[in-house]
Amino acid sequence: MRIVIVGNGVAGMEAALGVRAREPRWSITIVSEESDHFFSRTALMYVLAGQMSHRDIEPLERDLYARARFDRVRARATGVDVNARVVELAGDTIPYDRLLVASGSRPRSAAWKGAHLRGVGHFVTLQDLEWLEHEVHGGPSCGGRPPRPDAHETPIAHGSPYRRRQVAAEARRRTARSALVIGGGLIGIEAVESLLAAGLTVHLWVRDEWFWPLAIDRREGAWIAEALRSHGVEVRYGDEVEELLGGDDGNVRGARSTQGAEIAVDVVVIAIGVVPNTEWLAASAIERDRGGGILVDAGLRTSAPDVLAAGDCASVPWPGGGHRPEQLWYTARDQGRVAARRLLGDEATYARGIFYNSAKLVDIEYTAVGQLASGRDGAADWLFEERGRVRSSTRIAVRNGHVAGFSLLGRRWDHSVLGRWIAERRSLAWVLDHLTEAGWDSELVPPLVVPPELRVTR
Amino acid sequence: MDGQAQQRLMATYRDAWRSRGIVAWLVSIGIVAVYVTLYFTDVLDPPAAAIGLESKWFLYSFVYSAAMIAGAWSFLRRHGNSRYQRVRTYVNVGVQVLLGFCVPFAMKLAGQKDFYLSYFWPLKIDYLFPTTLRSLPVYLVLYAMLGSLVAVPLLTIYFGKRWYCSWVCGCGALANTIGDPWRHLSSKSTAAWRLENVTVYAVLALAVSTTAVVAGNQFLGPGHGAFSHFASQLQHYYFLVVASVLAGVVGTGLYPILGTRVWCRYFCPMAALLGLVQKLGRFRIAVKPDMCISCGNCSTYCEMGIDVRSYAQSNQSFTRASCVGCGMCAHVCPRGVLRLENRWPIQGDKKQQSLPVVDF
Repeated sequence: MRIVIVGNGVAGMEAALGVRAREPRWSITIVSEESDHFFSRTALMYVLAGQMSHRDIEPLERDLYARARFDRVRARATGVDVNARVVELAGDTIPYDRLLVASGSRPRSAAWKGAHLRGVGHFVTLQDLEWLEHEVHGGPSCGGRPPRPDAHETPIAHGSPYRRRQVAAEARRRTARSALVIGGGLIGIEAVESLLAAGLTVHLWVRDEWFWPLAIDRREGAWIAEALRSHGVEVRYGDEVEELLGGDDGNVRGARSTQGAEIAVDVVVIAIGVVPNTEWLAASAIERDRGGGILVDAGLRTSAPDVLAAGDCASVPWPGGGHRPEQLWYTARDQGRVAARRLLGDEATYARGIFYNSAKLVDIEYTAVGQLASGRDGAADWLFEERGRVRSSTRIAVRNGHVAGFSLLGRRWDHSVLGRWIAERRSLAWVLDHLTEAGWDSELVPPLVVPPELRVTR
Repeated sequence: MDGQAQQRLMATYRDAWRSRGIVAWLVSIGIVAVYVTLYFTDVLDPPAAAIGLESKWFLYSFVYSAAMIAGAWSFLRRHGNSRYQRVRTYVNVGVQVLLGFCVPFAMKLAGQKDFYLSYFWPLKIDYLFPTTLRSLPVYLVLYAMLGSLVAVPLLTIYFGKRWYCSWVCGCGALANTIGDPWRHLSSKSTAAWRLENVTVYAVLALAVSTTAVVAGNQFLGPGHGAFSHFASQLQHYYFLVVASVLAGVVGTGLYPILGTRVWCRYFCPMAALLGLVQKLGRFRIAVKPDMCISCGNCSTYCEMGIDVRSYAQSNQSFTRASCVGCGMCAHVCPRGVLRLENRWPIQGDKKQQSLPVVDF
């Protein structure tokens, strides 16, 4: 049996490991344009910041591919011929019996004037990391011990998210002193943090009226803005880029907003989201949705026989109808595990359950569970802002008499307990009585005490 | 204010002295030189006498405490927002200053033999030698025996070995203060784990057998030619190799290269013994299910080289023998996935996974 996996990320690796654990003799080929070794994309910011080394963000030892007998092909997949059952590479093909497409996301590109200037880029791929390391540090983010380079290089096609970028710092002959980060999402805030760590003056422009309005309400957004500003970030909410300004040398030198604000910066990170990395399938007979996500059923099967898709590139059935990709680490991992069983020929289905996520926003930890978007105005929400030994914010969204979502800043919570309460349709009064049971604070941290006047009677 | 999010490890690898640059090697050579001078020469006796200390060992103890205080100050600047880290560091420094310096110093002034209340067998194997016990007042004999054989294991059952290794022990406290900037350098490789399993239990076996042989010889008294000779040689080489070279020269001198806690991880017999006890006790690192994003900060900053991330990725709460419970994995986790806990496993807890090694 020949298994081919396009993508060396968490979905692809989980699937490969799952198949190998049961089928020692099957051929497993992993095609990756981006990297030789499986790494955690979630930790790119820590490498740029100097908090981790390149090697630290690889969860598995490098001899894994040899020990697990994964054939590794460093090349760009350019399409799939579902009739001939081959994955097409530039100038080569790989035959498959069962195929998993786990090609992940690519950064959403912007149409602004100047978006292609030298010194403008994204922060999603390993190559983006290397580019930013050169812009802000003039080389690897490692003081005494430069990273071991990947074993072999691969020619990268034009238009690929994995292409090497030209470095403005090299043309300018000095590293960047100031940066503009565009976008109010997690990648944006991670870029901000690691650029701050490098000592740059950092501007953050967010189109929305506050940071991450999909999950965070105005009051919480104000706290996050306060935290960002206390670290010296120039935060600009509710404004958009009109144009990125370039110098005669082709380097970016600044930006102008639609409201007329103009700043001078050396480097620009565009972090306005990611889209499924599937345009290489445009000419292949694999059905995709309008956003480019590969349409799959609950068993992660695509429209083509024996072709599965998992991870960020897969548009999965959503509870309540429709299809959407889920661009999270743990959903990709779970989908990879389901894909492994499907590749083995088992019946397996993927079910997301109640939404949850967490993040660290500068120095504020954040947990979200359930439905929060509809509570944006805060009208139906229960909110407690704690200002004692611990600063925290606890927001509980209530819909039709039962608790529907939690937005929690500053304390640690067990999302699985909160999710269970949502599924059990608990009342607000019941949840407030039991809130400490869902606490996950570190030892010695005083527990959250809800003041009596905020209690709700049954 | 108590905060749980850590913010102060950025630029760790940017500093050459923290990422095996030339300065790191120079610092390491310097510490090694100090330990070699201390253990194998008398050069430090005159300066000790000059400032009114009876021996070079009090000078060492003084410098040790000073280094720990300086290290604690710098550590608290980085991680003092975490209450666990803050309280733990205060206790570490307090124990060292009080039990590691002041009390032995006062005992010496009072004309007694100095005794370090914060150490126990088998870290100090001579505490259970009959000659040592005979030279001590009764209350210290009880302290050494009941402490080493009853209280230490019992507390470990209830709180994990962290109560000793991360809160009381002077070696651990030095590692977690002045040694803390190098904690990320501890190797996470399977090879290092295999090595550690051989060396740490070998030293434990050596500590137990040396204690038995020396004690046996002292009970038998003089006149057992070959055995007496063997016992005195064994004792001599144990103190030379384990207590001087492995604990001092290698175990502390190589912090800037091999990461902090070299001694605790690869050689300490007490850590080995308490690790085995810990496996039977309440302590564990609990993993919040399905929230880990595999960033690997926990593994990177684990000074004992435990691949915490592999447990977090597989939703596996765990107790590892080598874990000293410093709490840094939980502190550096950007998603708050990990939590140190003392509690008996309840029904429904998943069976604890033995090891994260991927094998085919």
